[in-house]
Order: sequence, then structure tokens, then C-alpha cells
Amino acid sequence: MRRLAAETAVIGGGAAGTFAALELHRRGVKPLILCKGLVGKSGASIFAGNLVVPGRLLGNTAEQARDTAEFLIRMHNHFLIDQHYARAAGEWIEREYYPELERAGLYLRRDDRGEIVTNDGPVRCMAAHSQGESGVLFMDLRRKQVLKAGIPWLEETAATALLTDADGAIAGVMALDLARGEVVAIATRAVILATGYADRFYPRSTATREMSADGIAMAWRAGAELMNLEIQWWHTSDVRFPLCWQRTQIYPNPIIGSSHSARLYNSDGEVFFDQEADAPTAMGPYTLQLKRLAKQVLAGKARFDGGYYSSFTHIAPNTVSAYTDYAKAFTALGKSIATDTLETACSAHYRQGGIVVDPARMATRVPGLYVAGGVGGHSNGLIAPVTYDGMLAAETVAGDLPRLKPAALPEDKAAAEEARLQALRRSLPGNGVTPAHVKKALRALMSEKMGFFKNAAGMEEALAEVTRLRDELMPAMGLANVTPRLNYAWLDAIDVTNLLEVAALTIRAALNRTESRGPFYRTDFPETDNERWLVKNILTPTANGDPNFRTEPYELPFLKPDFPRRESLEVDW
Amino acid sequence: MAERPQVLAGARNLGRDDTGDSPAARLTRLKEGDTVTARIFCFDPASDAAPRFETHRVPYTKWMRVLEVLTYVSEELGGDLAHRWFCANRMCGTCAVRVNGREVLACWEPVEPEMTIEPLRNAPVVRDLVIDRTAYERRVVALTPWLVRQEPYPGFPEPLTHRAMAPTARALDCISCMCCFSACPVVGLGQETSFAGPAPLVQLARVALDPRDGIDRGRIALEHGAVFDCISCYKCEEVCPVSIPIVTGAIEPLKALAFKSVAGKSRHARVFLKIVQARGRIDPSALVLGVQRLAALRHPLRIFKLWRRGKIDPLKTMLGFRLPDIEQIRQIYQAVRGGPR
Repeated sequence: MRRLAAETAVIGGGAAGTFAALELHRRGVKPLILCKGLVGKSGASIFAGNLVVPGRLLGNTAEQARDTAEFLIRMHNHFLIDQHYARAAGEWIEREYYPELERAGLYLRRDDRGEIVTNDGPVRCMAAHSQGESGVLFMDLRRKQVLKAGIPWLEETAATALLTDADGAIAGVMALDLARGEVVAIATRAVILATGYADRFYPRSTATREMSADGIAMAWRAGAELMNLEIQWWHTSDVRFPLCWQRTQIYPNPIIGSSHSARLYNSDGEVFFDQEADAPTAMGPYTLQLKRLAKQVLAGKARFDGGYYSSFTHIAPNTVSAYTDYAKAFTALGKSIATDTLETACSAHYRQGGIVVDPARMATRVPGLYVAGGVGGHSNGLIAPVTYDGMLAAETVAGDLPRLKPAALPEDKAAAEEARLQALRRSLPGNGVTPAHVKKALRALMSEKMGFFKNAAGMEEALAEVTRLRDELMPAMGLANVTPRLNYAWLDAIDVTNLLEVAALTIRAALNRTESRGPFYRTDFPETDNERWLVKNILTPTANGDPNFRTEPYELPFLKPDFPRRESLEVDW
Repeated sequence: MAERPQVLAGARNLGRDDTGDSPAARLTRLKEGDTVTARIFCFDPASDAAPRFETHRVPYTKWMRVLEVLTYVSEELGGDLAHRWFCANRMCGTCAVRVNGREVLACWEPVEPEMTIEPLRNAPVVRDLVIDRTAYERRVVALTPWLVRQEPYPGFPEPLTHRAMAPTARALDCISCMCCFSACPVVGLGQETSFAGPAPLVQLARVALDPRDGIDRGRIALEHGAVFDCISCYKCEEVCPVSIPIVTGAIEPLKALAFKSVAGKSRHARVFLKIVQARGRIDPSALVLGVQRLAALRHPLRIFKLWRRGKIDPLKTMLGFRLPDIEQIRQIYQAVRGGPR
């Protein structure tokens, strides 16, 4: 076991984690970044296609500023967001975020006259260099900023446990250095958890390979509360084939330099979603797309896993390719955006909920544990707000550090965690199964019982099946090769433990929310119920590991839904 | 003329239409139910004396990519193959491997019926198909590949046109996948050269060609990148999965910057110019002699080989051949020197 110490450990190398580390560094605190993949290369931040123009930036009118705020609160978070947080984040993004990025060198695509190119319409966005690929350049910049600052990192190192002291405060982090096959113990009194908004719970997922609910699982075990785990977003227009292109999206967002966007067609060739006409204010109109698809599924004209199509054929090819890389999937398949259509399918996207934080400070109820970005339950993980989270978490940590006790690694807990990890690296028993097999079984089950259409009976079955996987399959789990070095199967075994635990919590949370809202739909409770369920659905850990549930209402100072109850498929958010 | 479907730009696609190897043709080469045979490089330097190849048969699924074969082998066939990937969307640039000797992104490359899959070259293997990117990264960082402003940032949005950014725009597409770094024969020479390699130079070109950058990038290209060691063989452009014109759009502009800012040290460029001025065309042996001087004679066997293959002709060099229309060439030189800037 390798031993390290850090003033603050930042877990995650995406937009939130890197910015938290940079901000800590700027404030004179020495952070250590732990990244399960490669900083700026793994994690979903590279997928940020569009950069939203907030407030009055770039000549936005007062109406556009209002529409953009509404898009964040109503369309994007279904009112499950702290509106004071939304306002503070929006103001910071307008004032600090874009200037900081541009000063550091990010190229926001201009035209030849020097104007930043945006789409027409109520909610505008821009692109770093090329629309659809903004996140790549954005995260490359963050990686270089971290390198330039000389901030130390452990890459391809998966955090596996948060260690707490006798008072329940953070005292350390345990991790697996994948390349060396070495367990690492880091003594620290502050952790900023920034592991992202997604997990690979489903056969198709927009998450990058390494995202597996481990942030949520670690925080839960350390005593943090969770909320709104059941609100699972979907991408409705990701390419169906090749099978590995689960995050290759035919973007439904308006193409910058125009007001146009891709359309969706059912199996009869009828248009069933056209953002321009159906959702002019919904930048990233994923929920509305999903609901329109659900109606096609009910009519037998599409399936959630395919049988419907997306294309740009109604738009001049030059409009599509002027500022975007949207043609890339077509081109790589030898097809043309002018004439061809691609079959699309749903992929699990954001998990909107996550760890309960105070969104004014990014602190959890566990002393020393802070959260930034999509792994928090306060917001859903857009790249600009998660960067705000990183800034805020760093500011809070810098202020709290003098009050936190010096870190002393709890040796017994560290030893127990190392033993747990080593026990997972065992040879495949005679009738055993691989971690990949268990993951696959879980994904099939989630797809069948926890997809868009679900009800209490199916979810109860799902819960029983997850329990069976945990009690029967996990004990039979082993690895084909027990080498410690770069053993992805070992990592899979660690992931499986987290995924099964969080899957069970997610199903329980879904059973508890007796309504439908946004992308969360129950056939037994099909109404969006603003009277009873405009609340946080909070899970609190208990001694035996089962959750206690409570709810907490949202304050609605700026924007309120305009109906008490309505059939969710008829709500446009 | 019939309209062509989306033509793929870049050297990597030269001749593909003629050989029936276009992306469209590749969609129909295999059908569902067919089998893909993959011979995969396996090596754990900690425990294995030498690398070996394992052969796996994988059922073809529609429009299958190389990554799906690797995932199938590691997850379905109970193997323990180590291969790196994160996004499966041509963005993270971490899944690059060599398929039948050619660098590709596993997530983006269609499978072939029979494939030998190996790790990238010019980087140590950690295990199987996973390479250690650390040394490569160090080369990138040595070039200070971040914007250094001389003028204070004027505030958002800063005055900037796309026309001014156009020279750097293609370099901005780089996803640091290391395909070109693996394919580069000069990087492959190892200690014999301090050439930074194509991808690091693309990273440098990003800022060097950015009108907002304010430091002497020519000097960096020369002193930290040994940019003139590029032999313009275009192997890098051939394999670039995002079709960056690496030689013409990044390395040559960096050579020009180097010559402009440190002409005295840009020996290669100066000798090259002199030879063309004197003879009307380049002469490889004179170039090597002029650049490396006596050091060029350290490898007599190599010289012999080059002569045998007709690459150099020392006799012609010594006799000082020149093209018959040499005067026209000299006029061009005159025009460039004396003409409008």
C-alpha cells in the first residue's frame, strides 16, 4: 500500500474537478487530483457540444436572458433545482466563466467579421472551435492549465473509498492505481468529489467507459445523503449502429449560424420531432424528444432501442458543416448529410440526482466532504454550472481548512479497504462468473424494468433481481487473470459492487416517487404532480445500510410550474 | 459530373476509392453472421519474456468498429485483454492501436475480416494494447503548448476574426491520439534525433499560428522541437483520424517561423535554399552533407545503401550538376528577395 498525503483530494478530472483544483491552487491550497481515467480525456465533459450564452452576454435581450434561465430551471431540471443556486451560477458564468476561458486561450468560433457565431432564437449557444466538439478543446485547455500549474495528479487511479474518523469526518481516500496495480492510501481532511453525472447502468449509455456510480456509492458509505436518484435522463437521438457509438449524437440542438436542427422520423417516415417547430426555447430538448418518442413507441412506430431515424436532409449541407462537426458519423459511414438518414436509439444520459449538497457552499453533511458537478443532486451537470461548482467548492474548502482537524489515516479502515480490494482480485472459481458478466446482467435488467416505461410491480422485481445478483452472483465472481497490473477486470469487479448498490438505491428512490416528471415516467403514476412531488426525494443512510426516505420542498422564488397536476406525456418539459 | 458523396479529405484516404476501400465500401464488405478474425498482441512486460499473439474469432455486427472486437474479446470471451478507451466517439483519442500495420482509432475504424491488432509504436507498452503516454506528454509540455499573451486580455469577447484564426483552425481538431506519433519514422529513430514528433508539433502550431500568442514560437519549434528533422514523408497525415494536414498545415508553418526568427540556427532551411539556388533542385547528398557536415559520414553502410537504391548520387554532387534552366530559378529567388513583402 502506497501512502500519500494531500491538503485536499479532488476526485475527478473533468470540468468540475479540474477547475476546483485550479481554484484551490490559485488560493494557495495544494490539491491532488485523482482521476479514474486521464485528466481531460475521460469523463463526460469532453462531450459538451454547445456552450450556452447566459444572461445579457453577447447582446442577449432581457427576454433571451429570461428564456435562458427558464430553459435551465424548467426544461433542463424540471424545477428540481435550487433557483437561488441557478441564479448565482448564471451570474458567475456571465461575469467570470467565459472571460476566464477566453483569456486562457479557448477559441470561441467567430465568423470572418469577428462576431461569435450563435444560433438564432430565444436560447443561444456558441461553440469552442466546432459545434459538437466544444468539450474536447475545452478539456484539452483544462488539462494544459493543470499541467502548467504543476498540480500533481494520479491518473488511471480509481478512488474506491472515503475514509472517515471516529467523528464521521473525512480523514482519507483509498484508491487503486490501475497501471501499477497498487492500492494507494491518501491522508486528507478535505475531499472534493467530482465524478460526474452518469454511470453505465444500461446497455446503452452516454457515459465514458469508467463512469460507474462510484462517487455516489462512496459518498453514501461515508454517510452522505442522496436525492432524486430516480431522475434519469435519456439521449433520444444517438446513432444505433455501430453498437459502440452510443454517444454519437445526431444533435437536436439548433445549428449555430442558423435556426435549424435535425429531425426525427418514425418507422413510417413521418417526422415526429422537429426542434425548430416543437421546442424553440428548449436547447437540448431531450425530454420533449423522449416524450414524443414514447408516443411513437405506444403507436408501434418506433422502439426505445431503434426503429426510428434522424437526419439533416431538410437543411442545406453547407449550413450543417459551416460551424459543426455534425456530419462526422455520416462521413465515417460513407454517407451524406444531404441525402442519408441514420437509425437512432436511446442512450441513458444524465442522472439528474445525486449527493445532497448545500448549493450555496457545495458542502455535504459529512465534515470534509464537498461535491462539484453532476454527481451532486443539486443540478444536472451542464459544463458551465459544474465549473461554477468547482469554483465554489474550492472557495469553501479554502475557508474551511483551518477549522478541519489534521488528517490522520484511520489505519484499521485503510487496512480493511485494502483487504476488500485484494479479495476482489481472485481467480475465477470453477462455476464462477466474470465481473463483465455481472455488469451485463445488471444492464439487461435495468433496461427491461427501469427504462422509460416502468411501474411498481416491475421495479419490485428489479429490486429482487438486483438483490439476487448481489447475493448469488457476486460471491461467484472472479477474474480470468489475477495480475494486479492494468487489470481492467479487477476494476470491473470494484465497479460492480458500486453499481449494484446504487442500482438498488435508485430503484427504491423510483418506487418512492409516486409521480412522473421530466424524463422519469411511471405508468402507474403518469401525472406530473406539482402539489405533492415538487420536492427533493431524499435518501438517508441508516445503520443497516437501508435508506430512510424524507422529502423537502423546493423554494420557487423566480419560476413556478403553471399547473398542479397533468399527464406527464402532455407536459413539454 | 456526378455528385460525390461526402469526400474524406486528407492523405489517409488517397486512393481508397480506387481500391474499393472507401468508408461506403467497407459497410458492405462483411455481413451479420460473418466472423472477424483478430490476432491480438498480448504482453505483460512484468511477467512475459516476449510478446505473443492470441487469435480470437468474433461475430460481426452491423458496421462493426475495431473497439467492439476488443470489447467482445475482453468481456465475452473471458479473456483479460488490456485495452484503453473512454468515449467511443472520436473525441478522447485514447483507443488508438495499429490494425494490419496502420494506426487507427479503434472506436472509429471499421473492422476488416482479418486483423492483426498491435499497440502503437514509439511508446512503451504497459500491458497488451495499452501504451504509456508519459514520455509523449513530456515532449508536448516541453513546447509550452498554451497561449502566452504579450498584450493584456481585452475582455470578453476579444476582437478576433475567424480569418485570423484560420491558419490554426485545423490544428485545433487534434485529439492527441498519438496515431501520427506512432507512424512517424523520425520519432522511431529514437535517440538519434531530438525531433519532438508530429503530434507535439501540432500542439505547438495551435498556439504558434494563433494571432493572440506573443512569444517566439519559431525558436521553440527549433530548439525544443527540432522541427527541421521532419522529412516530410506524410506518414503522419496518412494516419490522422481527423484529417489534419500535419505537414503542410503545422510543421511547414513552424519551419517558416523558425527560419524567420532564428535563421542562423535554421541550418537545414539555409542549406536547402542554397542548394536549390545553385542547382535548381534539391540534392539529397549535398543536403545531408551541408546539414550534418562530417557527422554525415559516420554511417558508411547507410550511405552505401542509399547509393545502391539511387537515393543519393555522390558523383553528381561532387560534379556540381545544375538544371539547364537554372537562370529562371535564380530569377524566382531574385523576385522573392526583392519583390514586395
